[in-house]
Amino acid sequence: MVSATKLLVVGMADAKHSREPGQTLVTYALGSCIALVIYDPVAKVGGMLHAMLPQSSIDPAKAEVHPAVFVDTGVPLLFLESYKLGAKKERLVVKVAGGACTHGDPEKDMFQIGKRNVLMLKKLLWTNNVPLAASDVAGTESRTVFLDLETGRIRIRTPRGEHEL
Amino acid sequence: MKLNVMVVDDSAVMRAMVKKSLSLCGIELGEVVEAANGVEALEKLASSWVDLALIDVNMPKMNGEELLNHIREDEATVPLNVIVISTEGSETRISRLKSKGARFLRKPFSPENLGNQIREMLGETHGDGSGNQALPVSGPDF
Ligand SMILES: [Mg+2]
Repeated sequence: MVSATKLLVVGMADAKHSREPGQTLVTYALGSCIALVIYDPVAKVGGMLHAMLPQSSIDPAKAEVHPAVFVDTGVPLLFLESYKLGAKKERLVVKVAGGACTHGDPEKDMFQIGKRNVLMLKKLLWTNNVPLAASDVAGTESRTVFLDLETGRIRIRTPRGEHEL
Repeated sequence: MKLNVMVVDDSAVMRAMVKKSLSLCGIELGEVVEAANGVEALEKLASSWVDLALIDVNMPKMNGEELLNHIREDEATVPLNVIVISTEGSETRISRLKSKGARFLRKPFSPENLGNQIREMLGETHGDGSGNQALPVSGPDF
């Protein structure tokens, strides 16, 4: 039995950070949204972003106020804030989950938001020289993502069960 | 970042050669996905993440040019980096492929040729955004 950890909930279009070992960051029910999770195992600083749409260019005013809505403005925010808490870019372990096709039938998923979210993320990481350590993306299932701040372990819960990322 | 590459060619020998060249061309390779024609390539593009596609022209079922058209019509694959690798001699066809945002590499080629094409292409994509593979990005660097 593990001791009770405090859950710190990351809402939709939100980003949160923590360096409290007793905490677990969680974001619920990702559909086509993506959760980007970063963790510095030395500083034990973790962060989680729950972004909804790939590009802020569709609504720059909204991106000003809520940068975490969009992948291209939320991802930089996630990294830059973690540095303020002591995380170092070269130590960060970066993983992504989500980007599902929520309509069930990929043929009918006209806008392919999930896929485009992941595509934008990959481009950003690539241009900023950040390797992606693991990903659990696409498919049709809704995912809930937990990050344990003590260990850096990430668990993903789907309607079918739970697994580690 | 490691590059996931898709190699599309109807000849298994050619695919093996392209893969060998990839491993020798000085690029940090991630996953390499293979497809024997355009139809297979589209299926694999839908289920895996590919940063760069190396595409043959003459293939059964769906040729390289048709495949490129599909890639550019689908919003999810529009920004994909494409290099067409072929013995193609027709300048009209080559310029048509280029107008759709593909680079062209003539067979036979050396690993150095391939590496240079890839590096140039990535420089383009990550440069001023003028290439049509570019996704507009608004946030700061991190
Ligand atoms: Mg052929």
